[in-house]
Amino acid sequence: MKSLFWVLYGCLFLSVVAGIWVHFSLHPEAHFFWETFPFFSALYGFIGCIVIILGSKAIGHYWLQKREDYYEKPKGKQREGK
Amino acid sequence: MIDWFHPGLIYILGAFLIPLFRGTIKKGYLLLLPVLALINLLLMSKGVFSPEGKEWILPFLGYDLILGRVDKLSMVFAYVFVIASFCMMLYAIHIKEEGQHVAAYLYVGSTLGVVFAGDLFTLFFFWEVMAWSALFLIWYRRRKAAYEAGFRYILVHFFGGLCLLGGILLHLQQTGSIAFETFSWGWGLSQEHVASYLILLAFLINAAVPPLHAWLSDAYPEATVTGAVFLTAFTTKSAIYVLIRGFPGAELLIWLGAIMAVYGVVFAVLENDIRRLLAYHIISQVGYMVCGVGMGVMGTAAGEMAINGAAAHAFCHILYKALLFMGAGAVLQVTGRSKLTELGGLYRYMPVTFHLYMVGAYSISGFPLFNGFVSKTMVVQASAMGHLPIIWLMLEGASIGTFLHTGLKLPWGTWFAKEKPVCEAKEPPKNMLVAMGLTSFLCILLGVYPKLLYDLLPYPVHYEPYAPGHVVSMSQLLGFTFVAFWVLRKKLHGEPTITLDTDWFYRMAGKWVIWFCEKPLMTFARFVDGKVMDLVHFLAWFSRNPAVAFHIKKEEVKVRVKKIYASPDRVEKYVRDLEEKRKKYPGELPKLTVGASLFLILFSFAVYLLLYLLMAY
Repeated sequence: MKSLFWVLYGCLFLSVVAGIWVHFSLHPEAHFFWETFPFFSALYGFIGCIVIILGSKAIGHYWLQKREDYYEKPKGKQREGK
Repeated sequence: MIDWFHPGLIYILGAFLIPLFRGTIKKGYLLLLPVLALINLLLMSKGVFSPEGKEWILPFLGYDLILGRVDKLSMVFAYVFVIASFCMMLYAIHIKEEGQHVAAYLYVGSTLGVVFAGDLFTLFFFWEVMAWSALFLIWYRRRKAAYEAGFRYILVHFFGGLCLLGGILLHLQQTGSIAFETFSWGWGLSQEHVASYLILLAFLINAAVPPLHAWLSDAYPEATVTGAVFLTAFTTKSAIYVLIRGFPGAELLIWLGAIMAVYGVVFAVLENDIRRLLAYHIISQVGYMVCGVGMGVMGTAAGEMAINGAAAHAFCHILYKALLFMGAGAVLQVTGRSKLTELGGLYRYMPVTFHLYMVGAYSISGFPLFNGFVSKTMVVQASAMGHLPIIWLMLEGASIGTFLHTGLKLPWGTWFAKEKPVCEAKEPPKNMLVAMGLTSFLCILLGVYPKLLYDLLPYPVHYEPYAPGHVVSMSQLLGFTFVAFWVLRKKLHGEPTITLDTDWFYRMAGKWVIWFCEKPLMTFARFVDGKVMDLVHFLAWFSRNPAVAFHIKKEEVKVRVKKIYASPDRVEKYVRDLEEKRKKYPGELPKLTVGASLFLILFSFAVYLLLYLLMAY
């Protein structure tokens, strides 16, 4: 398992290096200003993932998640799932 | 000589012969039908039956029904439906119950009917067959939850079907034509606009666009193991096909699609049932396609890229989503469990299923060398070409969520997560594994060699998916998604809850309607019933001796009046007398002489005559 993680770290490092290389040597066409930043995708992936997890869980816990028998029980006996 | 044979009819007519076969011959026959349909399509594309663009026409009520409109757009959808149906049937071939196979093939055949429909009547006919044949794939699960979800599913689709019919009739009245071409799109309340809105509404219901999507995440996870695999492909993707036909470039769809892509992702975080989680990802992925249709303004490079992207993504999505549902279905099949809270550590027993599932997961996430990468990036690229920054960010964000759930959370929770396996398990039957293997092969084939797919698309493709910039940015995006997942993986364990969705509105409204019928409406009905019965009893009593009955009633009134002023003793006497009379009632009936009877009869005639004359004047 540990060696697998080293491979993974290697891949992450490689993707960042490749990002810099592509950015400075090939100059890909940029449609938006953020595409000129070589690590944008890495940052967006990391931050986006955290926002999705925490944001969705917040919506779920405070509003949408209910007990599994929510639709079977008569109204008034319901309570929050969490 | 036959000009053309409808590939959908191969399935529909073939489905009715399934019960005639037994054993191995039946299995062979079930797999033969998609092969025949594929040969049919290949011959069609070579112009053997009819050259491209020619139509197969059937006269009906003074209209020409076009059952076969063959062009590049219909062919690309037909190809993937037929290929996918082969893999799906291979997955389901061990099922003994013929009804399931019949329903599945009716479903596939009617979808092909929709794809080749060149007029709105034909479209409507196959649209409805598609809706109810799919219902049986849900009901064959034979569980209370499946029956209930099936009923909700079909009610929503009946509503959609009626919207479509209403729209078609308004459109026909307005234009006088039933041809299925691009509808006029714009904002307004004229009849033409209303017709377009109704038709669009019906298409959006089938495409499961929020807030009209809840039927999908409600019903598909309740279907049978093999039925769900069929369901993932046909209804939503045929809706994408009709949207491309009817509403390319409708700006509303760009936003609906992007919202849809993110919506599915958010709900997938909260979901505990693995097949429901995947169902939310159907919604998310179809969002890319709906968005592509919206960006598909005719005649522009970005528009052609978007339409190509939508069609290509539908093609790839059908394959990898079927594969994902096959994997989740295999887990359900061998363990009887589908909730993340009840699963974990199964890798020891089901490594092959896991690896095949992961091919689907890499494909849906858009890893380079898998088919999702070559199609999803086309839609994203179209949003860049169309200078839509927010849409671009939403679609890329949905990619993150897709990998997070289908590629990380679900396999982690099912095959790993726990040190010891939660239950005994084994690999599923061989045919299921072979079907998964074949679908995996197709996913990788299209990823490695996208030209196969690009050559089928409606417009010429000027897009290089493996440009270094695309590959690197996708690798960064997905790689760092994994890092975030690993950091927060403790937060992603399943929770034994359900998530409220827009089906809450009609499920609760349904409950209230039933409560209203059972409580206030029934109380009122009982009240009316009681009063009517009282009247009947009174009339029966009164008619035994009307003269005495009238006298008794008169006496009752007198007693009430006397109670006010007379002394209690006298009142008591009156009451006793009245009781006597009541007891004696009806007493001796008056005997009428013949003359008196005759007089009464003549008198009643006279009253009748008088009334008649009064009414007449």
